[in-house]
Amino acid sequence: MNAGVAMAAVAVVSLATAIIGFYGLRISRTTGDFYVASRTVRPWWNASAIGGEYLSAASFLGVAGLILLSGTDALWFPVGYTAGYLMLLLFVAAPLRRSGAYTIPDFTESRLSSRTVRRVTSLVVVVVGWLYIVPQLHGAALTIHIATGLPSWVGSVAVVVVVCLTVVAGGMRSITFVQAFQYWLKLTALAVPILFIIFVLAGHGAQPQSAPAVNPTDLAPAGLYQNVSLLVALLFGTLGLPHVLVRFYTNPDGHSARRTTLIVLGLLSVFYLFPTAYGLVARMYAPGLARSGQPDAMVLRLPGELVGGMPGDLLSALVVAGAFAAFLSTTSGLVVSLAGVISQDVLGGSVRGFRLAAVVSAVVPLGFAFMTGSLALAGSVGLVFAFTASTVCPVLLLGIWWRGLTDAGAIAGMLTGGVLCGGAMIAGSVTGSVQTPAWLAQPAAWSVPAAFAVMVIVSRATSHRVPATMPRIMTRLHTPERPLATERGPGGQ
Amino acid sequence: MSRVRVTAPHAFPRSPAQGGRRSLESREAAQDSEVGQVFVRSLIRSQLRLALVVAGGFLLILAAFPLILVVVPGLAETRIGGLPFGWLLLGVGIYPVIGLSAWLYVRTAARNEARYRDLAGEP
Repeated sequence: MNAGVAMAAVAVVSLATAIIGFYGLRISRTTGDFYVASRTVRPWWNASAIGGEYLSAASFLGVAGLILLSGTDALWFPVGYTAGYLMLLLFVAAPLRRSGAYTIPDFTESRLSSRTVRRVTSLVVVVVGWLYIVPQLHGAALTIHIATGLPSWVGSVAVVVVVCLTVVAGGMRSITFVQAFQYWLKLTALAVPILFIIFVLAGHGAQPQSAPAVNPTDLAPAGLYQNVSLLVALLFGTLGLPHVLVRFYTNPDGHSARRTTLIVLGLLSVFYLFPTAYGLVARMYAPGLARSGQPDAMVLRLPGELVGGMPGDLLSALVVAGAFAAFLSTTSGLVVSLAGVISQDVLGGSVRGFRLAAVVSAVVPLGFAFMTGSLALAGSVGLVFAFTASTVCPVLLLGIWWRGLTDAGAIAGMLTGGVLCGGAMIAGSVTGSVQTPAWLAQPAAWSVPAAFAVMVIVSRATSHRVPATMPRIMTRLHTPERPLATERGPGGQ
Repeated sequence: MSRVRVTAPHAFPRSPAQGGRRSLESREAAQDSEVGQVFVRSLIRSQLRLALVVAGGFLLILAAFPLILVVVPGLAETRIGGLPFGWLLLGVGIYPVIGLSAWLYVRTAARNEARYRDLAGEP
């Protein structure tokens, strides 16, 4: 791969991100802009921004690499990532928007009238965010190393620096523009090279080296349990991701929150066709890429492998640009939502506090990223989904739909899920990816039901603690907003 | 350029900008009555039922897809337009099902809300 062209691509994406961020700075000056873009973002913008933020290193590099390795088994990843949004639409989107809360801790505090619940939720959200940023930084390290030959740490540090600059400068409003731009950049950066590759292969009448059903390595195929557990994690993990949820507050009302989600589902469906195509083409025409030991790098290497020459360099540079957009957008989305939580809970909610919190939220995972080695990206992100599904998801679902939830139940359930899933993750990383038994490698299938069960049982046992404000809040979550300009006198029925 | 101090509300934030405080409180006052609560409960029940039905239906179809490939031998390898059917089904065919489920849900959820508005006598 041509290092100069690749470096130029990274520089252009970083610069474009910064420029759009600063452009947003000029118009993000009213109260509230910093947190939620004043809730006036149009559905298409918002949907593009959600797509941009959601499609992380795992989607851009990891999914295609896993499909190359394990074929149709790995198709559950893109399906699960997309179907997770369906679950979010069904159970969370409109009520959460109507709650009027800014962050997940805001929601749990108001729903359960408890400061302690708020603190526990904040802790969980920060852990989720940090866990999720680490794979992004690993992806950046891998990409920079392969594309330019520079040391890996340069990639992680570059992402953290650009994200800090953008977030500190503009807050959520500029982030919305940046994210929306990055969705379309990511789509282009995946679509153009693979279409070009298919065109070239067809033009040369190239013969496949291998059938799509043949695995290029002797990696054991995933069993039924692992696929089911993975789907549980992805389906229920999405609706607890902090950076995804904060986006719903930027819709003007509950109905538009649903419409936005519908557009997001369309955008994700289109996007995931392309990693699937990369995986299939690589299995048939370049199965050797799987044996490099870095399946995550397949998307970066495929254009050079199958096209080569100057066109190959240019296409590779485009892929590198898209990959960088993925790291930047997911990391900045996470940093914004983490900074929102940290600054409100610890620093009193001022703009200065938000900026300080943003820097802290980005730098801590950088330390983690340096200390840990890179695993398969899609796999490590899948584990973060399992953690969210075991902690944030039960408290959101039960909080929205069940009147009987109490603060004690919520705390007990979140801690149970966090300890079980977190314990499995730690045990799995200690034993190494090869020896880990399936039930430990994919904990969601048992840790999610356990968290739900504990939350329900403890809530039942402490039913006297159901807050008095509950009926009023349930009403607010589920009743449609009144159409504009229809003020009525009090007490009217 | 003047800076504005952003203070995030610690307590439950009040209504979304439009409509204002007064309208929200009157809306909630109306819904606090016993009759109002009956309507609200029935709205929540019907929305939950709808969400569960759509989720259940989707999961059944999702489970059926790989099952078809296992039950019908050779189907996964059948080529359609040069591509194996198994790949087309799981890699492409599932997304329209997701989109259709979502669209059905959004439409019906809005209808449930319209019915609630009629019942509760809101404009």
